[in-house]
Amino acid sequence: MNQRMNTLVQVDQLYKEFPVNSGFLEQLSLTGGHLHLRQESVKAINGVDLEIIKGEALCLVGESGCGKSTVARVIMGLNKPTSGTVYYEGQRIDHLSSGKMMPFRRRMQMIFQNPYASLNPRMTIRKILEEPIRFHNPGIARSEVLERVGEVMESVGVDPSWGERFPHEFSGGQRQRISIARALTVDPEFIVADEPISALDVSIQAQVLNLMMEAREKHSLTYLFITHDLSVVEHFGTRVAVMYLGALCEVAPTKKLFSFPRHPYTRALLSAIPRLDEARPNYIKLRGEVVTPINLPQGCVFQTRCSFVNARCKEEPPKLQDTGDGVCVACHAVEEQRLQA
Amino acid sequence: MGLLEVQNLEVTFPTRRGDLVALRDVSFSVEAGERLGIVGESGAGKSVAAFAILNLVSRPGYISSGKILFEGTDLSKLNPQEMRHIRGNRISMIFQDPMMTMNPVLTVGVQMTEALHAHREISAEKARSLAIQTLARVHIPSPEKRFDQFPHELSGGMRQRVVIATSLLTEPSLIIADEPTTALDVTIQAEIMDLLLELCELSQVGLILITHDLGVISQVTQHAIVMYAGRVVESGPIREMVQNAQHPYTRGLISALPQQTTPGKRLNQIPGVMPSLTNIPNGCAFHPRCELVMDNCQTRFPEFKIKGKKRVACHAVDADMLNGHSNPGQDEV
Repeated sequence: MNQRMNTLVQVDQLYKEFPVNSGFLEQLSLTGGHLHLRQESVKAINGVDLEIIKGEALCLVGESGCGKSTVARVIMGLNKPTSGTVYYEGQRIDHLSSGKMMPFRRRMQMIFQNPYASLNPRMTIRKILEEPIRFHNPGIARSEVLERVGEVMESVGVDPSWGERFPHEFSGGQRQRISIARALTVDPEFIVADEPISALDVSIQAQVLNLMMEAREKHSLTYLFITHDLSVVEHFGTRVAVMYLGALCEVAPTKKLFSFPRHPYTRALLSAIPRLDEARPNYIKLRGEVVTPINLPQGCVFQTRCSFVNARCKEEPPKLQDTGDGVCVACHAVEEQRLQA
Repeated sequence: MGLLEVQNLEVTFPTRRGDLVALRDVSFSVEAGERLGIVGESGAGKSVAAFAILNLVSRPGYISSGKILFEGTDLSKLNPQEMRHIRGNRISMIFQDPMMTMNPVLTVGVQMTEALHAHREISAEKARSLAIQTLARVHIPSPEKRFDQFPHELSGGMRQRVVIATSLLTEPSLIIADEPTTALDVTIQAEIMDLLLELCELSQVGLILITHDLGVISQVTQHAIVMYAGRVVESGPIREMVQNAQHPYTRGLISALPQQTTPGKRLNQIPGVMPSLTNIPNGCAFHPRCELVMDNCQTRFPEFKIKGKKRVACHAVDADMLNGHSNPGQDEV
């Protein structure tokens, strides 16, 4: 129990905006005979609170453009948040300079979506894998580097004698194994995987997922796993956070989420998974238009597509509230028990 | 006589190092109003099969043998001019990414009516009203407004609806959809698939759905063929296929899906990768990855055998070795 209370990463009230019109002339607009300066921005993350517990595999799901990858990038320090804080084992890391961030970078690693783009085509596999080791352990002996590279290659099922080959000589699945190997070379404790299997074929997806689950056990890793594929979440995740337009709608242990989804968006999402056994989809239709993240409505971001919307939803944004059994939901309808179970 | 009958289709790409055979002995048929799924991983030849039907195999590739009978005519024998009367008119195609298939500098209306003017003598006014009607048919709200908008003003799901509407304008009898929802989110995917189902049932249009997603195939189509390295390895009614797959590759594909395994347990994986066209193994191309491999698998491609309602090409199925393996690939946990 003590172990489960152990928070590895904590994100508090995170906001991230990307300006759309940064130039002076772009911001100039004429309304009612007066010139105005108006800055528009994409509100990618709107007040996300998230806690990642040591040893878990937290899956972050949502539609494309809902801000999942931005959350991951802010946690990794690849983007600075507009406001809000990120803590890693109790230490604030979002405002650190890149020099001070260094020791944390070794402990948290990232695996990217497209293994065709994330490996340098002009470096051999051995060089790709050696680089992070040398970078994080200056002055390390050459023999030790080679030994570590060999070990890691073997652990992901890539023959160490292929070290002199280039990325283009490998298939997509093998390349993603090499990306995983690269993340593992510096012995991290936390891995952020941004859609690591969505570019791969079905039979290869299973290979890579198995490898990631093995690595989790062997190196006692904590994962933040970003995906839009819900059947992968059900299989891989211990906890799930569902995101919609930059805000979290529901955070729950995987089993509880799949057996009893509460938020109307989670329900629609789960009902839309194409299952092998059902002959005809019987899914919840979402009505209405998706609002753009440039002009967010007042109140709940899901209001335009929700069938349980009322006056309160249009005024007051719902807060993530603990329902008591580890499930957190941000929905007025759930809170007021307007939703039928 | 079916709507479309593909018989022993073979597509060859000549290269300096010899001929690459991308499709070998592919046969399937679609009846009017029937929905057929083509499943396979990338490189299996699914898209080449679709392009071959429309005579769109990119040069220097060509149809080296076989017949493509569409409403009785062999499409592989038609000259380019005759083919233009069929393509986009009697047979429409929907591609994967609606952002790539729509012209970004033309309005929705211009692109839709262009398809009409190409195949019909029709006044601009009539074309417009027909296009707007069709937009309404694919459940696009305020179609008059959408007609004059540009693709970038529409969401991904809306764009794919426009593409579907465009493909319906000429009242085709067959629609080929190549991964139509791969670029879209699950909730949108469900809507688009529902729409395709509805349209096929209402207007008795035949549909060929190409996808790697067995879940989608299982919900939308009635029949399916599974392709591996340019060949069909199994075909039959979709329910049969899902519940009682015979070919070790089909079984492997189904059991590799996370939803087929208890959460947290090791997934069943098919070892290795699909071979590239340059070195397809002798005999059955799947034999290096197959756990039921036998001697003749390495020398001879198996004949198609009827198993229940399905056709399967596998020596191990012939020898009935599958009986002892109700769950091939299952790891002992």
